[in-house]
Amino acid sequence: MTALFVDEYPAEARLVKAAFLSSFIAFGIGALFGIIQALHRTDIFRFIDSIKYYTVLTGHGVFLVIAFTIFFLVGLYQWAVTDSLERGPVDIRFTWFWYGLMAIGSFLAAISILAGFLEQPPMVLGAELRANVLFTFYAPLEANPLYYIGLALFLVGTWLAGIDWFRTWWAWRDENPGERIPLRTFMVLTTMMMFFLGSVGVIVSILVFILPWSLEITESLNPLLTRTLFWFFGHMIVYFWLLPAYLLWYSVLPKLSGGRLFSDPLARVVFILFVLLSTPVGIHHQYMDPGIAEGFKFIAMTNTMFLLLPSFLTAFTVVASMEHGARQRGGEGRFNWLQALPWRNPAFTGMALAGLVFAFGGFTGIVNAGMNINYLVHNALWIPGHIHAQVGTATALTLMAGSYWLVPQLTGNRLVGRQVALFQVVLWFVGIVFMTNSMFRAGLVGVPRRTAEPQYQGFEYDVPVGSMGELNAQLALGGTLLFISAMLFLVLMLLTVFNNDSEPIVDGTLPPALSGPEDSPQVLDNLRLWFGIAFALVVLAYALPLAGIVAQSGLFGQDIPPFPVSSEAVMYLEFGLDYVGALVT
Amino acid sequence: MHTSPAKLLILIALSLVILVEGRTVLAFFGINIPPLETALIGLVIIATLVIWAIRPLRGSPTKSE
Repeated sequence: MTALFVDEYPAEARLVKAAFLSSFIAFGIGALFGIIQALHRTDIFRFIDSIKYYTVLTGHGVFLVIAFTIFFLVGLYQWAVTDSLERGPVDIRFTWFWYGLMAIGSFLAAISILAGFLEQPPMVLGAELRANVLFTFYAPLEANPLYYIGLALFLVGTWLAGIDWFRTWWAWRDENPGERIPLRTFMVLTTMMMFFLGSVGVIVSILVFILPWSLEITESLNPLLTRTLFWFFGHMIVYFWLLPAYLLWYSVLPKLSGGRLFSDPLARVVFILFVLLSTPVGIHHQYMDPGIAEGFKFIAMTNTMFLLLPSFLTAFTVVASMEHGARQRGGEGRFNWLQALPWRNPAFTGMALAGLVFAFGGFTGIVNAGMNINYLVHNALWIPGHIHAQVGTATALTLMAGSYWLVPQLTGNRLVGRQVALFQVVLWFVGIVFMTNSMFRAGLVGVPRRTAEPQYQGFEYDVPVGSMGELNAQLALGGTLLFISAMLFLVLMLLTVFNNDSEPIVDGTLPPALSGPEDSPQVLDNLRLWFGIAFALVVLAYALPLAGIVAQSGLFGQDIPPFPVSSEAVMYLEFGLDYVGALVT
Repeated sequence: MHTSPAKLLILIALSLVILVEGRTVLAFFGINIPPLETALIGLVIIATLVIWAIRPLRGSPTKSE
């Protein structure tokens, strides 16, 4: 048994634990909002007004895909950098500073969202405290400025985290001249390069346009411009959620399988491809938007299809590593080696099942990315089906499974309820298949997403398989299984944290790859080169579309007032009347 | 036992997944299986898997032996 991470790096372990704690709190709240939505929109059990549904929906998105995933990412990446470079950060106070910024930002955004449940939200910064603007905060939907300030602080904290890891690597490089970047640190650095480049869009959108507009410093904005800047960031962020799972699949899963990573060079190529390709594809989220020429959308589609390449490379490398591990454990035959894998281990099983769902969800992503067929599923329930397969399982289930391996090393405590943990990851797998299957089928017949009331009066969906009642029941069943699974996970984590009188039975050492860094070309470690190419690709993909949008309506639009989202239905009415009046006149 | 409880759990989960997705695929070929029949097929599959899993291996000693 090797020394535990908490024994070798106690200061860093504290930071990782704090990040994981923040992540798990967000996960619990987000999961609660998820079950409320599943039961509400299927009309099986309702205990909130449909107006409040949008507060729940905003919270579900922000707490899960921003707070849960990114807090886990910074914790995991802090572990990965520290463990692979065998040194702590240059200044741990700076590390706590960026974590503090992220925590404060999350808190401000969280109270802005949760205040939406109040009948009379307080006035803050000259406006009602509320943020029912969903995860995408499309203008002219307007939240309280505090929400945007919170998001900005969170993003700044994440940037500083990346800078911190680069500083740590630079310090390590000075101490180890000529050494190749250790694989896990390479993954962290390339992920953050991708984030630096891709998050520029949303930072500009918030700081230059939306925040000043919400503070009434500027009177108008260009909704298509802010929306395009959001999606400049919005597809990159998908990979920001996914790459921590990749890190675990490439580094931990081969070890859990009983073997070693098949190819270090292939892993490096995959991460570089994400740096290059993840940002110049965002316009594929805007196929239905007017104001962007079809040619640019076609280019975005082509770029998106290239993104299949790193996913296929990953499928090959990870499965090859698992097969190698299984054969080390005595597995034989063309497929019988599968039986030799450690299915009793919840960390392994969770990651393997997450990978399986990722493959299936990836194919649904091809549907989303195709311009013609996207028109069929756009804004339909198909899209949440895809998101729940990818972020909600490939990422979330991998992170939960990874926690079963990592948290004992961070706490020095033995994992409580190993068999329950196995049941939990399998339950998640079954739950997600029930839920996403119904979402995909409902989406194909046009059932909309993002609404509390998907059933319209006097209208019946032409469901080709089963009935709407059956689809709703299946969605609610899947959502309930997922909620139970999420709560089981949190309970096991809580019990493990307090399981002080125990010794972990986990081995934290990670074996070297079968084909190591010595087999990969030196150019793969030239981070400046890859960042430069990625930057050029982004300019090629976005310069003309953005120029076209600004040329059409100006940087700040033409008299676009905010559309405050409030529980006061009369405000909707007033806006509607004003809009109709403007159209008539 | 023919397999471990962990593998049995995975097999049951995979069977449910294949049942749910397979039913959808069959519907695209005009073969519609109602929910009740699907649930019954699922129960039969699970029962078969459980019986197969707990059946003693040929040649293995029984409790009375």
